[in-house]
Amino acid sequence: MNSTAPSDGATSGAVCVRNLVKRYGAVVAVDDLSFDVAPGEFFGFLGPNGAGKTTTINAIVGLATFQSGSISVFGADAVKQFRAARSYIGLSPQEFNFDRYLTVEEILIYQAGYYGIPPSRAKPRAEELMAQFELSDRRTSTYLQLSGGFKRRLALARALVHEPRLLILDEPTAGLDVELRIELWEFLRRINAGGMTIFLTSHYLEEVEMLCSRIGIINRGKLAALADKDTLIAKHGRGSLQDVFLELVGKGAEA
Amino acid sequence: MSNWIGFATLVRREFKRTMMTINQVVWPPIITTLLFLFIFGVGLSSSMRQMGGVPYVQFLLPGLVMLNVISSSYDEAASSLFQQRFQLSIQELLIAPLSDLELLLGYLTGSILRGVVIGGLIMLIGLLVVHLEPRNGLALAYFMFFTALLFSSVGMIGALLAKTFDNLAIVTTFFITPLTYVGGVFSSIHVLPPLVQHVSLFNPMLYMVDGLRFGYIGQSDIAPWIDAAVVTTLAVIAFVVAYLMVKKGVNLRV
Repeated sequence: MNSTAPSDGATSGAVCVRNLVKRYGAVVAVDDLSFDVAPGEFFGFLGPNGAGKTTTINAIVGLATFQSGSISVFGADAVKQFRAARSYIGLSPQEFNFDRYLTVEEILIYQAGYYGIPPSRAKPRAEELMAQFELSDRRTSTYLQLSGGFKRRLALARALVHEPRLLILDEPTAGLDVELRIELWEFLRRINAGGMTIFLTSHYLEEVEMLCSRIGIINRGKLAALADKDTLIAKHGRGSLQDVFLELVGKGAEA
Repeated sequence: MSNWIGFATLVRREFKRTMMTINQVVWPPIITTLLFLFIFGVGLSSSMRQMGGVPYVQFLLPGLVMLNVISSSYDEAASSLFQQRFQLSIQELLIAPLSDLELLLGYLTGSILRGVVIGGLIMLIGLLVVHLEPRNGLALAYFMFFTALLFSSVGMIGALLAKTFDNLAIVTTFFITPLTYVGGVFSSIHVLPPLVQHVSLFNPMLYMVDGLRFGYIGQSDIAPWIDAAVVTTLAVIAFVVAYLMVKKGVNLRV
């Protein structure tokens, strides 16, 4: 792996981003960004605040349009074949975005419905996820009645309800206590070992260093580094990912 | 349309939302309308016996029905979509494999249902007071459906353009309510001075109320086909505008 974008034009990866450009008026949020995530990979996507991480994720999942470039998910073009591409992705977003009219159980069943899963299959799936994330006792609670930890669990359960192949996690452990973070890490390792591709962005660099096998660092909308974790740390002659991060994005930058 | 389950789930969600706010959105228009019918039909019947050649309550009922079809369908689309935008829960739908058309139709179906069901309930309850069966059920259904489609689409457009809840109220307060009230709900345009009659013809609400009244009492101020042409044209225009805005992702996809 190296720090330049892949040039083979392959589109069979879990995620293939090619020459992505996203502008908000005169502001260029993502500038000619290209990278791949391989199937089954645990990929870390880092950058300081405002670097373009969430914008890139939004473009991948369909929450943001973009001016040029292309994105494919398991070979499906994110725009032209949006149904297939979106079906492959499960998203746990940075900000909670639950439907406030629905209970925990309904949030899972309705989300499955939006993905085309009939109630006869959605109900047992919701049951399974509520049991897995210890949400069964809170099935009739609404989002506002849940604690921060349970909101995070629900976000993850919802992301998995349609059995995606790629799980995108935008700050999944923000606001979680140590015990819950460790539980979540174990869970993520387990599903990754089971074949799930994971795309993680987090401000906790030790979390990314511990979980991810490959890392991309974005700064001011451009790719500053893309490499295997160990290669990245060795290449920069530093002891930890945090040192590499600070060197690449500037010590004054916020991690 | 290929994600029928996704579409049906969105319609179900809209219905659930309506039922959860039943004391805000279903009972108030029904109670208000019954009060109108009671006050105008019973209380003032001695001084206002006839309008348009029929007892006043018979003239009034279709106007009140249309008033509620318009406000209910607009409110549902506008407030539901804007709330979801405001609370970010619209993202649940935007990341799902739903096409722009499925998304639009899901919201519109929920809003049209609310408008038509509330209008239909008011009509049924009103019939108990008015004692006159509708003359043309097809015309009633046609005008209720296309008016609900028009204002559901306008509600979607409003919800996409609005920056605050207060913005949504601008459309209701300054356009929908005054235009509906002067759009022939309470009186025939023939009782107005000639100049005002001509100005009234530029009020689109007049054609909706007049068309529905034709379906109910079999008489109208304007030819029913003109009413139908105006309502259908406006509904199609509003639908296309709403679709293009959803397709472009205006204030939906950043």
